[in-house]
Amino acid sequence: MKSKKSEGKLRTEPEKPKLKVGFYGITGCAGCLLSVVFNEDELLDVINKLDIKTFPFIKEKDTDEYLDVIFLEGVVASNHDLETLKKLRSKCNILVAMGACATTGGVPTLRNFQNEENFTRLKYHKEKEIDDLQPKPVDSYVHVDYYIQGCPPDKKEILHIINDFVMGKKPYMYSKPVCVECRKNKNPCLLEQGKPCLGPVTRGGCNAICLNGGLMCWGCRGPADGTKENFDIFIQMLKDKGHGEVFIHDRINTFQGWKFKEIQDAKETE
Amino acid sequence: MPKKQNKHSNKRDNEETKKVNEENKKTNDTEKTAPRIIELNTVTKVEGHAKLLLNIDENNQIKKCELQSVEGSRYFEGMLVERLYYEASEISSRICGICSCAHTAASIKAIENALGLKVTEQTKILRELFTVGERIRSHITHMYFLSLPDYLGVESGMDLAKDHRDEVMRALRLMKLGNDIVSVFAGRDLHPVSATIGGFLHLPKQEEINSILERLKEAMPDAIAAAKLFASLNYRKYEINTEYCTLIDDGKYPIMEGDLYSSNGDRFPEEKFTEFFTEYHEARSTANFVVKDGKSYLVGALARLNNNYQHLMPEAKKILKESMKSNPQLTFPNNNPFIMPYAQAIETVHFIESAINLLTNFTIKDEKPIEPVVKAGKGTGIIEVPRGLLIHQYELDKKGMITHANIVTPTAQNLRFMEDNVRKVLPALLNLDNESIVLEMEKLIRAFDPCFSCSTHFLEVTFEGPRGKN
Repeated sequence: MKSKKSEGKLRTEPEKPKLKVGFYGITGCAGCLLSVVFNEDELLDVINKLDIKTFPFIKEKDTDEYLDVIFLEGVVASNHDLETLKKLRSKCNILVAMGACATTGGVPTLRNFQNEENFTRLKYHKEKEIDDLQPKPVDSYVHVDYYIQGCPPDKKEILHIINDFVMGKKPYMYSKPVCVECRKNKNPCLLEQGKPCLGPVTRGGCNAICLNGGLMCWGCRGPADGTKENFDIFIQMLKDKGHGEVFIHDRINTFQGWKFKEIQDAKETE
Repeated sequence: MPKKQNKHSNKRDNEETKKVNEENKKTNDTEKTAPRIIELNTVTKVEGHAKLLLNIDENNQIKKCELQSVEGSRYFEGMLVERLYYEASEISSRICGICSCAHTAASIKAIENALGLKVTEQTKILRELFTVGERIRSHITHMYFLSLPDYLGVESGMDLAKDHRDEVMRALRLMKLGNDIVSVFAGRDLHPVSATIGGFLHLPKQEEINSILERLKEAMPDAIAAAKLFASLNYRKYEINTEYCTLIDDGKYPIMEGDLYSSNGDRFPEEKFTEFFTEYHEARSTANFVVKDGKSYLVGALARLNNNYQHLMPEAKKILKESMKSNPQLTFPNNNPFIMPYAQAIETVHFIESAINLLTNFTIKDEKPIEPVVKAGKGTGIIEVPRGLLIHQYELDKKGMITHANIVTPTAQNLRFMEDNVRKVLPALLNLDNESIVLEMEKLIRAFDPCFSCSTHFLEVTFEGPRGKN
């Protein structure tokens, strides 16, 4: 709530320059960028508030200018992606990784944990020409300042973060597991029904939207805080409910395999 | 809106005249030009990342013309192997944000066919509805934010907001309607959550459905205005012969069901698509091409209209007929891919009407998903999605584990045809400067509404060999 006094003050102050913002995408599905655009009611306001220098498929002429904020969608899956990423990091003050691919590696990193022979037929014996890199999330290569989790990310969360930047506020990152919001929404617990729901180990902030729609949590927002300890207990719990080891790991690996691996690697080096 | 019509055509005419003059000037000035290499590193205003490489020698002969995707490979068909039948739709929806509903629906259909599972009428209707919602928002995005700037002479969809606010507001209203339909019927606007094998995990409430019906009715004037606007644009005069491949659903404009059909009369059941189309890859490129009888073909809104315009809903058909009379460029069947945005506008009207039809007197029943009997099998699911035919095919073992997955996206199918068009259009543009060539090539590629994220097979295209002025 603005007081009258501060409103008056704002009016007399010289107008602050708009934040220079760029939206970019590397290998991905454009879903995160669409999530920005699908804020139909607020979109014109966002365009007005920010100085948007570039936006894939809408305003694509790239800029050489140094940017205040870059929102980046996608996974690093080729040398071309990596070059782009390094260039983007060097030309912005704040880098926001947007969506599962950028933040946890998402579905594309699943292939790091699967049988190599499942992919050979898809490469048409053209390994040399295909500019492949082992797919990894953005923070495997460069420093990331903020994360917008999820596949797709919550479109309102994107707006909140934009507003925080405009106001010069530090964005708030939700860290509790999905179960917190799910219980609040009074959804039946799918885990109790024996289903392999990843809610307990997954970062919430999504209002448990999948569970509201009857679907188990697939873990798209990455590990919740404190999951380091909880993963082992959780896996044991799923085993006790009769799920096989391979199946459980397939489920975890679908969206957060890379982060799960990082957690396991860190444990080993401890 | 007669006023606007004039404005658009005048602007376009002036541009055309200017271009022709420039062209003549250049031809007179220099018979021989310096060899040039044009690198368009990002084909703009298309979904995903692609680049175009042109190498033109001093005699204005095209030495090289490469359209490349710079999208990294994700190998979804590999990732689906060894996963369980009910996991396929959630994973494959991630192929594309724009078409996530389409991938979900095609994937579910293929798995159900593999398991021999028949679903209820209600399930079919709900699936059609979220697919229609996605169709509306996808078409509107391409029509207004990717295509329209070219015709109104502004650089981007964002610049439209300044001078064409009414149009932008209309686009946003229609886009929001599309998104809300998907949210209500699929549980989320992107990457659906509720649709599953055998039915729906969560059903919309009757009052949500009623409210969508009201909003669909309210949206008709917007959709009609959009169709009239896109009928008034001055599209490049151009023709190319090809086959148009779509589904055919007797007596109905196709979307979720039907046989494969080509404008040359060929008709095949969906499970025989490998006899209808041939997928192949060539030594000179890493792309997987799809051809029919060795030739390129077109899928998508224009192909669907060409094969099925007689089955449009009344209002859409009325606009189509009126436009045919007033503008000879818009007759059907139509061989000009540049009018793609108009075809999408007609479809937008049609699908809003058909959704109103589906929802009028519709009462939701409390149905649980049908549990399938898991068994080994092979299943194909083909549906019409915004950009054309989407094919999912799976083989399952007796435990319901996927042993083979094949996904053919519309952009992969249109690739060869886009290649043929670049080849056909380019010679006429060679006297223009590099920047203008780039702009014209972009407009051409953009007209196809390609989705480079989606075309998982599309890695690189190289045009080599003699390049006569065909």
